[in-house]
Amino acid sequence: MSGSKPDILWSPHHPDRYVICDSELGLYRIGPVGGTETKPGTLPLSEETAATLLAINSDTPYMKCVAWYPKHEPECLLAVGQANGRVVLTSLGQSHNSTCKELVGKEFVPKHARQCNTLAWNPVDNNLLAAGLDKHRADFSVLIWDISSKFAPETSVAAEKIRISTVDLDSSMVVTKPLYELGQNDACLSLCWLFRDPKLLLAGMHRNLAIFDLRNTSQKMFVNTKAIQGVTVDPHFHDRVASFFEGQVAIWDLRKFEKPVLTLTEQSKPLTKVAWCPTRTGLLATLTRDSNVIRLYDMQHTPTPIGDETEPTIIERSVQPCESQIGSFAWHPSSQNRMVVVSATNRVMTDFTVFERISLAWSSTTSLMWACGRHLYDCAEDSAEGAESTVEKDIATKMRERAQSRYGHDTLQVWRNHLLAGGNDPQLKSLWYDLSYILYVSHMKQCAEDMELKLQGNKQSLVYSGIKNIIRTSSGTTESRRCWIGSDRQTDVPRFSSEERCLALRLCGWISRGPDIDVETFLRSLEQEREWERAAAIALFNLDIRRAIQILNKGATMEKGDLNLNVVAMALSGYTDEKSSLWREMCSSLRLQLKNPYLCIMFAFLTSEPGAYDGVLYESSVAVRDRVAFACMFLSDAQLPHYIDKLTNEMKEAGNLEGILLTGLTKDGVDLMESFVDRTGDVQTASFCTLKGSPGEVLKDPRVQCWIENYRNLLDAWRFWHKRAEFDILRGKLDPSSKPLAQVFVSCNFCGKSISYSCSAMPHQGRGFSQYGVSGSPTKSKVTSCPGCRKPLPRCALCLMNMGTPVSSCSGPGKSDEKVDLTRENKLSQFNNWFTWCHNCRHGGHAGHMLSWFRDHTECPVSACTCKCMQLDTTGNLVPADSS
Amino acid sequence: MELHILEHSLKVASIEKEGIQICTHGLMKLAFLASKTRCKFFSLTETPEDYTIIVDEEGFKELPQSDLISVADATWLALNVVSGGGNASSSQPIGVTKIAKSVIAPLADHNISVFMLSTYQTDFILVRERDLPMVMHTLSSEFTLLRVVNGETVAAHDLGVTNGFVKPKLVPRPIIHPLSSPSNMFCVTSLDPDTLPSVATLLMDVMFYSGGSKELGTSSEDSSHIRFFSFSLIEGYISLVMDEQTAQRFPNNVLFTSASGELWKMVRIGGQPLGFDECGIVAQISEPLATADIPAYYISTFKFDHALVPEENIQSVIKALRTESAAQ
Repeated sequence: MSGSKPDILWSPHHPDRYVICDSELGLYRIGPVGGTETKPGTLPLSEETAATLLAINSDTPYMKCVAWYPKHEPECLLAVGQANGRVVLTSLGQSHNSTCKELVGKEFVPKHARQCNTLAWNPVDNNLLAAGLDKHRADFSVLIWDISSKFAPETSVAAEKIRISTVDLDSSMVVTKPLYELGQNDACLSLCWLFRDPKLLLAGMHRNLAIFDLRNTSQKMFVNTKAIQGVTVDPHFHDRVASFFEGQVAIWDLRKFEKPVLTLTEQSKPLTKVAWCPTRTGLLATLTRDSNVIRLYDMQHTPTPIGDETEPTIIERSVQPCESQIGSFAWHPSSQNRMVVVSATNRVMTDFTVFERISLAWSSTTSLMWACGRHLYDCAEDSAEGAESTVEKDIATKMRERAQSRYGHDTLQVWRNHLLAGGNDPQLKSLWYDLSYILYVSHMKQCAEDMELKLQGNKQSLVYSGIKNIIRTSSGTTESRRCWIGSDRQTDVPRFSSEERCLALRLCGWISRGPDIDVETFLRSLEQEREWERAAAIALFNLDIRRAIQILNKGATMEKGDLNLNVVAMALSGYTDEKSSLWREMCSSLRLQLKNPYLCIMFAFLTSEPGAYDGVLYESSVAVRDRVAFACMFLSDAQLPHYIDKLTNEMKEAGNLEGILLTGLTKDGVDLMESFVDRTGDVQTASFCTLKGSPGEVLKDPRVQCWIENYRNLLDAWRFWHKRAEFDILRGKLDPSSKPLAQVFVSCNFCGKSISYSCSAMPHQGRGFSQYGVSGSPTKSKVTSCPGCRKPLPRCALCLMNMGTPVSSCSGPGKSDEKVDLTRENKLSQFNNWFTWCHNCRHGGHAGHMLSWFRDHTECPVSACTCKCMQLDTTGNLVPADSS
Repeated sequence: MELHILEHSLKVASIEKEGIQICTHGLMKLAFLASKTRCKFFSLTETPEDYTIIVDEEGFKELPQSDLISVADATWLALNVVSGGGNASSSQPIGVTKIAKSVIAPLADHNISVFMLSTYQTDFILVRERDLPMVMHTLSSEFTLLRVVNGETVAAHDLGVTNGFVKPKLVPRPIIHPLSSPSNMFCVTSLDPDTLPSVATLLMDVMFYSGGSKELGTSSEDSSHIRFFSFSLIEGYISLVMDEQTAQRFPNNVLFTSASGELWKMVRIGGQPLGFDECGIVAQISEPLATADIPAYYISTFKFDHALVPEENIQSVIKALRTESAAQ
């Protein structure tokens, strides 16, 4: 080290000690920053660590390279290679004990002086020290010294000849005879022993990399290359070696030594150090001259087996341990990804840990995993079923649970789907009730030729198009003023009715059939569900104040009822239509303090001027259906469409599913659904909903198709293959265009024609064969020859019967049992009769036979065929997660 | 064995003793500030008569034009023998002896003039660029010929010229030039380029200033001291040839000294300037040495040639060479 280029070496045994060598050797101990007082002489390396200088050794001038003796004892013995080629053993911070004394000060002198470029201790046979020297004529450039050798045999001769050597040395400490001499007539720039065999030495020679074998020194394996500096073996992968030349690093595989397996991107400045991280596989750190960053190459990814020439992917990144320019660095031998860096000047040191890249992966079942260094973190969603978790579950979890509970599949009682979804989402509840009413009304219209007869025909699809469109077509609205039921007092509240309004009320669920507006049934059902306030409000809106009071009273007296309802009932009973009464004045102001929105709107209704019901209509916590029904009853033809439009837009913007009532399953409805999916990601509800009630053109909407495909993909990702199949069946029923066409045909080996039913049933074939083999019933599947050419079908490799023969059920214990089994078996295992074959070896047979064969075997049942058919099927070994 | 044809185009020049002042700037730059020039091959040899400079074209630009500088008109190429290294005979002779029979003699047989430069690290055989086809033809049977192009070693192809070459006449080569052997002893050494700055002033003193005071006459008398110093910086490697007294002026451990610390004595060839056209001079000297298996360095300068042989062998060398000479 000529003063300007420092280097660092970690102690092979003390994880807290390292040596810095520049013009002298300095031994440091690294430790945590002193708790209270930093002792004088400690240098802070990072926020947590500091170094203490333990010893300095400046005995050896003209240092070129240093290597730390790998044995425990003596622990701090260093070999120093000098500019004149001599290798000196020296020590640091040691009381010169006996073991040390023998070695320290020993010199190994080459025959011809030239620079010593590199040193390497043998990792196993620790007495061997390899030194790489510059070229000197025909002399050897790699000398392997045995440090335990006593003295040179020809000392007497040498001593006589040493005339210019002016260093006064105890001649017994000088060794001039190396154990091995290698690399004649060449220069050696870098050296390392190979881990795979301690007799092998890899040397970066002048223009070639050579592997010397100490067992046969006359032979060497070599490859011509310029990348001969800094050879270093990957400690985790003993066949992988890095070397460099100027700005380029070459990575070699010793098993395929002809050329580098890869070269890293070239740097503009020459490299000075390349080092594999000892604590992490495949991480290489490189340093260039005059740089303040260390470049890291992460070679984690093994090359893909396809194609020999594909280069492994490398992730390259840079770290900047300190501000100043870096002189050298050294990985900590055991601490993960840690290194000490020394600056190019002034010996400023930094303790630095490279932060590991985080790799992160979502599972399809909402758990999240990430890996950092040697840690693997799993973040799963709280599955606390019992305690009401404060955090709402992720939509994927919800959808998964819902898929398991067959959400969306109840086509008879459509409203029940919200219960399958968990029954706690008001929007879903509203949605499924809407759909339920829509389907009910449309069903009614189709079969019952009742009052709606005249609505039929042109307005048939109107029910799907939502209240917004129904109201728009409204005509012949009649206005009436009715009495409060049970009193003859005339109200000044005008009420409107028409066929369309009546239909709208039905869609809102208030009435079940028109034209009479009779909400009694609805009230009863609300009472059953203990929705007292809502029932009371609806009764009131139907001008039945007495019923409303009765309902409230009932609610108060029920078990666990709210006694306050009685108070409300009392207040209600005091209703007066006197414009300036105290009652009216107090109610209109105090109602705002009522917590229940239905109670609130009841008083709003009673205290409003006719036609000005903003207090009711814009009370957002009241269900949309109730507000719409109210509007249909009390808003004039002029006001109603305006209100409905406004509300519709509001719903669409918010993606509120209650708005489906207004939009129906039209393009508007898809718009609304779109903002719902944007908000929640719930493609499941969107898929089922659009499938449920929609006429064809809505299903053709690309957005709808996208939701459906995404839902199917989700089911596949969860391995819910049965659920997906069920969904496809449902989809096929509701949207016949979605049924896929047959894509696979079984064709005859001889005539090439399809042997399947669909083909032979084509008119021009003129043949009456109904089913051949494939999923055939036992009686008809006896046909074992091609319907086209009458040649036999191939045989099953296992039962050796021609295909088309049904799989024989194994003999049962008794005949009666067998018979029962047979019918069951035939129903359940029609798949067993299917044709299957391996795409690789083309052998096959009955699906059932093949499955049972591969349960116990890996190779093809055909003798002499070694095809591992089942293993070629990458998904064959996956198990559905919903096997029910 | 491989023969590398290096890519340097070399000029050989002589600077008169009194002309050295005008050249010192350029020479110092070439010797000590190698990073400031693009010169890759530089050699300076001081003899009692003159300074001989061997330098590549990039380096040649650093020298001024003057009447005191004479330049040999040819452009020279350097050849370098690289043995495969496989054979582990550790007692291989060094210097020209090794290549005397394989390179030097065949070239002499073909009437190709060579200019030798031995350094601490290796031996360079300089041939004229125009002789290259002939050289390649002559040596292709014995060597793998490799040519260095932009730092890459590539196979050099025989140019295919075979016609018109004279059949070599294998005649004995008697020594025709007078020989002399100065009394002082020399060492061939090197130093770490990193330590060059620390000894730069000393080297400058040796190169440019110490000559006058120590001058002991320029005649080639036997047993007289001779002023001889050679410095070369070739592809980053430094080589020094100096007499024992000069070597002792250097600090400890700076110069590379071999474990045995050999010293060399010089045999100086030529009574009057040898010129560049005569062939076979190196062969005349090196062949007898090779036969006797005596290692030798050989340094040609503008006017005379110099062989360095181990001091303990000097008597036998003189004897052997005299025999050759007498056989004439």
